[in-house]
Amino acid sequence: MSPKNRIYLQPTPVRIWHWLNALGIITLCITAVQIRFPEHVHLFENYKDAILLHNAAGLVVTFSFTLWFIYYALVSRSMFKVYVPSVDDLQNGILRQAKFYLLTYFLGWANPHHPTPDNKFNPMQKSAYLAIMFLLVPLVSLTGLLLTNVSPMRDLVLLVGGLKILIAMHFLLACSLCAFLFTHVYLATLGKTAMAYIKPMWTGWEEEEAEEHPHHST
Amino acid sequence: MITQILNKIMQVGLLTLLLAWSPAMLAAMENSDCTDCHGDAGTVGAALVIEARTFDHTAHAQVGCHACHASITQDHPDDGLAPSKASCSECHDEVSAEYNNSLHAENAVCSDCHNPHQVHGPTAVSGHAMNLQCAACHVPAEVQEQHAVWLPQADLHISNLPCVTCHSAADQHVISLYLTRRQGDALFGSFELASYDELRSLAGGKPIEQLVDRNADGYISLAELRLFNLDPQNKQLRLQGMMTPERLSHDFISQDDRWDCSFCHASGPEAMQVSYLSLAEPDGSFRRVAVEQGAVLDALYGTPDFYMVGSTRSTALNYVGLVILAGGLVMPIGHGTLRFLTRKNRKHEEE
Repeated sequence: MSPKNRIYLQPTPVRIWHWLNALGIITLCITAVQIRFPEHVHLFENYKDAILLHNAAGLVVTFSFTLWFIYYALVSRSMFKVYVPSVDDLQNGILRQAKFYLLTYFLGWANPHHPTPDNKFNPMQKSAYLAIMFLLVPLVSLTGLLLTNVSPMRDLVLLVGGLKILIAMHFLLACSLCAFLFTHVYLATLGKTAMAYIKPMWTGWEEEEAEEHPHHST
Repeated sequence: MITQILNKIMQVGLLTLLLAWSPAMLAAMENSDCTDCHGDAGTVGAALVIEARTFDHTAHAQVGCHACHASITQDHPDDGLAPSKASCSECHDEVSAEYNNSLHAENAVCSDCHNPHQVHGPTAVSGHAMNLQCAACHVPAEVQEQHAVWLPQADLHISNLPCVTCHSAADQHVISLYLTRRQGDALFGSFELASYDELRSLAGGKPIEQLVDRNADGYISLAELRLFNLDPQNKQLRLQGMMTPERLSHDFISQDDRWDCSFCHASGPEAMQVSYLSLAEPDGSFRRVAVEQGAVLDALYGTPDFYMVGSTRSTALNYVGLVILAGGLVMPIGHGTLRFLTRKNRKHEEE
């Protein structure tokens, strides 16, 4: 049995945000299918219910995003450190991590990245989350807020180029977020056991096995 | 004796001729006989004036003043007789029967909503004008408040739908596109339905439909719509889409499938094929110019301000979205397969 180190990786506000976000985004994806294809999809008996639930879930995601922003920017003040890739990340880290995912993982080598509370994401995660949390989620939320308030925000809608541009942006950004969700959930099962990365997001604590194969960690 | 008989015959003949000819003589009264006086507010007063601009092109003008005001003779108004007025039901018997069975019949007569001297057919009335008739009794602010209780974006629905689309059995809906113009020259400001005079001024001497129908072929293609919407010269103009009925009903019964939103939003793109550009005419009516089939389904610039969630989705965007989603499955499926095939290499990790 290898010795185990327990690290407190995911503080309570982050875990609340994550699962609130997960619930909201999954609800948004499910309701969105009926909203876009109502004559083919009948998950909810009433079309209006799908719309109202979608709007409510959108507000939940926007609210949880605000919670995330406040926590990282104002409380832990680690937003820059956690989410912005360093020069080394960009020059070497991304390639190192890509090599792990695409090659050495299949050979049974260990993950080259060892998370700490201030450096919890590997270089590829950092880059992906930077785009998602600073671009995708804010834009999909803003376009959603505009789409649920077309008349009062008409001038803003026109500034974007009109309702059709807005809906195209919202739809394609949401598809991108959903596509990321597939990859995100899959990569979450890529720990030493399928639940190894998922459990810390629920309990906050990650158990890290002591390094047994130093030659694997390139 | 013979002379007396001949005189009698002549009197009877003349009387018969007079009786036979008199309706024809009255019918021969031209509308202009009436509008010569009733076209001038100074002569008859504002309450009795008939605007030639709004009356002359109506169906009622074609049947003539005398068809409804049969008692009027050449002696009017010197005879001192109040002119007769035909009942609407004399001609519009089916509509009248339907209306009299509705809840509205207790509250309003035909002329409360329809000015018989300004009537137009259902497709020549703008959605805005239809709603103005309702707004005469139903205070808009109250209507919006009542709808906002259950209807998402009530203000948007109310400004883009004729009330009768939901509150009557009106059917055969099409998409009517109206030219709206930003009020004032400010960067921000509300868009209101453009009047005939405004459009004529913007068209600069050309027929007003050429603002959109650039090749003047009486048909608006998707390419022409895109050009219109992308032309910087038209930045003060926007096309407002409304779902308007071609066949009206006077039953005024709110339809069940409007409550759950499915009638409009789950009707599918097939129901959104027919659209028209509706242009204001000098007489207050609207003239329709056919638009290319399915133009309102264009992803971006065909009708940039008209989008009905669920119904006017773009197929092209659906495919782009599908490719993006498929891209998200590359990692789980591709990597997952290799992961499964190489699982023995990671046995030591799980021990």
